[in-house]
Amino acid sequence: MIQMFHVYKTFGKDLEALVDIDLHIHKGEMVFLAGPNGAGKSTLLRLIFCDELPTSGQILVNGRNIVRMKPRMVPQLRRTLGIVFQDFKLLRDRTVEENLALVARVVGLTMPQTQRKVAQLLTLVGLSHKAQMAPYKLSSGEQQRVAMARALMNDPLILLADEPTGNLDAELATDVLRLLFEVNAQGTTVLVATHNLKLAEEAGCRTVFLKQGRIVGEWR
Amino acid sequence: MVEKLKYLLTHALINLARAGWGSLASIASIAVSFVIIGIFILVIQHFNALIAEWQEQFQVSVFLDDQITPLQLDMLKRRIENEAAVKAFTFTSKEEALTTFRRELKGQESLLEGLGDNPLPASFQLKIRDEYQSSEALKGLSAFLSRLEGVEDIQYGQEWVERMTRAERLIRLLGAIIGSVLTLGSAMIVSNTIRLAVYARAQEIEVMHLVGATKAYIRAPFLVEGMLQGSLGAALALGVLFAAYRFVAPTFNVVSPLFSIGASQGFLESSMMAGLVGGGAAIGALGSSLAVNRFLKM
Repeated sequence: MIQMFHVYKTFGKDLEALVDIDLHIHKGEMVFLAGPNGAGKSTLLRLIFCDELPTSGQILVNGRNIVRMKPRMVPQLRRTLGIVFQDFKLLRDRTVEENLALVARVVGLTMPQTQRKVAQLLTLVGLSHKAQMAPYKLSSGEQQRVAMARALMNDPLILLADEPTGNLDAELATDVLRLLFEVNAQGTTVLVATHNLKLAEEAGCRTVFLKQGRIVGEWR
Repeated sequence: MVEKLKYLLTHALINLARAGWGSLASIASIAVSFVIIGIFILVIQHFNALIAEWQEQFQVSVFLDDQITPLQLDMLKRRIENEAAVKAFTFTSKEEALTTFRRELKGQESLLEGLGDNPLPASFQLKIRDEYQSSEALKGLSAFLSRLEGVEDIQYGQEWVERMTRAERLIRLLGAIIGSVLTLGSAMIVSNTIRLAVYARAQEIEVMHLVGATKAYIRAPFLVEGMLQGSLGAALALGVLFAAYRFVAPTFNVVSPLFSIGASQGFLESSMMAGLVGGGAAIGALGSSLAVNRFLKM
């Protein structure tokens, strides 16, 4: 589903964010990308959704070489992905429901389809009762779950989650993990970047270790 | 399709309301520009009406030599008939000229008593086709006619023709220059307002971009917002102009010759008004796309 061949990413002249990354993630797999802050986890995710281009190397996502992809094709690729951002990126001046509906509009769902999907996902993340609230009035854990629900609005083939348990306590982190498993169980390929090794261990999934931009090991 | 249009219009209106005073300031600035552009169009329109009326009445008088023979008169008539610039013509004999003159001097006929013989010459009055009423064409016609046998003098108000032609060109040029400057200015104002709106919604744009919205999809609501601002500004300007035209102008009668014709001429034609509102929308779209394109270069 995701294949990286000798991928390098350098910022400026000499800041090596990723060095010789070879990574293959199969369809329906759930993989953790673990490493300390600054290891290059977020950069790797950003390469997958074309927010950055690699300095060299090739990347295939769902069979398409995204390095050679024309810029006008990028939106099409992104519509097949679900992204949970580290800082959530929820719009403060919209309700939870409107935040989710934004994605529905982009992927072209009709109003009834949007309403159905929003209700279904808010039930999944346990926030149906907070649909009309502004995200900033929710706790971090709740905001995290809203971000997750938004990432699932387009029934993505791949879910990319950047530090989805970032500031959460252990109990909430386990909730999020359970949610990720549920999504994965429905056939979505999941790639989670985290600095929380314990979480990766608890999940018991394949885990790829990054350090200073290099893959330094892997658990299976 | 209908749902998309509804979404675009609803969001543009919501965004317009969200921008609040910014939108109002933008609409007001566009309105001020369009009032000035509208005044120019009105003046040009009235000036054109004045010229058209004047052109309708315009004629060239060909005064004939008293010694002209019937043969020469006949030849002259034929030359005038064949002249492309001449739309129609009438002949006034010496006697008819005197009769007319007497009629015009009604009550003061005594002034003519000391004249003895009829001093008025026979003449042709030529109506000239519109396209030949420029000062250059008339100069050419006059030179041609004055060379013909039996012609004594040609009169057509040379100075007036030249002055009118010059004034019309000047007004058109001024209108074009001021219109272009104001159009550009209005586009910049819309561009600034929309740019503020774009920055205020930077996060929304970023999220839309990241979840797969195309640039066109992101741009569309801003374009509609700009078009709304532009057309609302132009419509407001037309309202102000209409009110001023109906109530203020006749009272003050500032530019009397123009406005006296204006009374029969009426306000701007509906096609012109539609054009102005459409122009406002186009300026709004231009300003808006300038702002959004700069932001979307990401």
